[in-house]
Amino acid sequence: MLKTLLMRSQHKSRLWAALLALCIGTTLLLLSVLIWWNFRELLYGKNQNDTLGSTFLIIGKRVTEQNMGVANATVFQQADIDSLKQAPQVQDVGVIASNHFPVYAMMGGKLPLATDLPLECVPDKFIDNMPDDWKWEPGSRTLPIIISSQFLDIYNYVFAPSQGLPQLSESSVKSIALNLKVGEGDSAEIFSAHVVGFSDRIGSVLAPQSFIDYGNKVHGKPGATATAGPSQLILKTKDPSDTKFADYIQRHDYATNSQNLRWSKIRAIVEVVTSATGILALLLMGIGTLVFILFIELTIAHAQHSLTLLLQVGYSPHYLSRFMIQRFLPLVFGTVAFSMIITIIAQVVTASVVKSQGLVLPLVPGWPVWAALFTSTAILAVLVTQSISGAIKKR
Amino acid sequence: MKLSLQGVIPVPLREKVSVAKSGMWNTSVSFDKGEYIFVQAPSGTGKTTLIHILYGLRNDYTGEVKWQDKALAATDNEALASLRTKSVSVIFQDMRLFPELTAWENVDIKRRLTNTVTEAQANEWLDRLGLQTKKNSIGSTLSYGEQQRVAIVRALMQPFEWLLMDEPFSHLDHANAKKAIGLILEVVKKHNAGILLADLDENNYFPYTQTIIL
Repeated sequence: MLKTLLMRSQHKSRLWAALLALCIGTTLLLLSVLIWWNFRELLYGKNQNDTLGSTFLIIGKRVTEQNMGVANATVFQQADIDSLKQAPQVQDVGVIASNHFPVYAMMGGKLPLATDLPLECVPDKFIDNMPDDWKWEPGSRTLPIIISSQFLDIYNYVFAPSQGLPQLSESSVKSIALNLKVGEGDSAEIFSAHVVGFSDRIGSVLAPQSFIDYGNKVHGKPGATATAGPSQLILKTKDPSDTKFADYIQRHDYATNSQNLRWSKIRAIVEVVTSATGILALLLMGIGTLVFILFIELTIAHAQHSLTLLLQVGYSPHYLSRFMIQRFLPLVFGTVAFSMIITIIAQVVTASVVKSQGLVLPLVPGWPVWAALFTSTAILAVLVTQSISGAIKKR
Repeated sequence: MKLSLQGVIPVPLREKVSVAKSGMWNTSVSFDKGEYIFVQAPSGTGKTTLIHILYGLRNDYTGEVKWQDKALAATDNEALASLRTKSVSVIFQDMRLFPELTAWENVDIKRRLTNTVTEAQANEWLDRLGLQTKKNSIGSTLSYGEQQRVAIVRALMQPFEWLLMDEPFSHLDHANAKKAIGLILEVVKKHNAGILLADLDENNYFPYTQTIIL
């Protein structure tokens, strides 16, 4: 009977319109938080998206007229490394160690290439595409190496056409064995090297740390290993476009690749756009909520006569408010739940789309989306409750 | 539950009663539970206003109305609702039925609120007042007399210590009024309640203990 008296003016079309407005607002809000969170996950998350999230910079001490030819002038000391670890925006510092022993690479068959080959190693966590077989132990004659993907580009697009040599795909390069002669004279050793991966981050030839350590120890030039520190470092930075970081690099006269700074700026722009989307979604959510609240107040206004009579008969405002709230809150919860289902579906679709791009996103939205869901639901519940109680109290 | 009025003057009647006292206005009166009060009032002297003030529907008055020593003006909405379901019931002059509900629903909506009268009892009371064929008729289609009888039964659907009545039989013929009086008296006695009836002319509907000229 109370439903007949209080909800009879609730036109279905108006109710659906109000629910649609609320649903659109809530969905947009949740989606904007989802976009923001996905973006954070891709950039700064713990998944395999570090290439996007952090900018890796290789730095060295700039070679100048003054330090040219001065022994160890461009070598990093431990104090330099410790200082860099504390520098603004720096998340991690890795030492790039190079070989202090002669390495001569020879390739047989139709590719008669032979060259001196400088090798480097970095801590495994700095390698962008870590191969499964990235391991070497003393005694093993097979050596995995990672080459810069730029090397393959130079070979395929510059060297091979000019020499009449066949172009090579990544998989064919991986199948080629490269003989490495390490050391000099009678103590020289021959290793069969295989390219196991390509790096977009490091522009040289990488060998496992254990191999470089072994080579420097066994075949290194006397004194070279002991005196020389690393001449290059690899930095994992959060935002290298930060002026404090840029000032630090400039103050210490370190040389680095400025190209990476551009990516960081693009990232900053995307973050601004994401934030702007969030503000817009918040506004739409506000409008959706307003439409829904107005619908509630309209329903109560239409039932004014019945409300007045019910109060006169002895129904308490609290009882009537609770009755109305029990009718409207399930609608709010249902709408919000529907919005969340849409958001989860969007996340599943997004995760599968970015997976094809080699990026990883969780299938379930993260805590910020759930926090937004619970916060917006709580705010909506409070607004609906207060709106109903207030409107009935006025009668 | 004691009812007392102290110097009550409704704002619209201030000009008329500010100086001269009447039986109810601008004077101190009190009534104990179980009393049968008849307030005789010519048109325009504030009969309906009095009932509305006592029931807490109006607060445009000076002075003080107290139910059991508690000032009505200081009573909040929740306490007022409690008063209206446990202690004071009313039969309005204009009936105030829900026009979209049936006769039975109009009674039942009050019955369900307090749950002190059984469904069978409510049906029996409607039957006693000759409404057995009108229970499913929509309120707005009932005659004034039928509406008044429904309003009487509705007023009895709760426990009360006082029953306020504003010309409760104005639309009833003698026979129906007699049935209604019998029913009311029966229920009032059961509750050991008091009556305050406001009407235009002198009558002997109930064995009044006091008659007040408004």
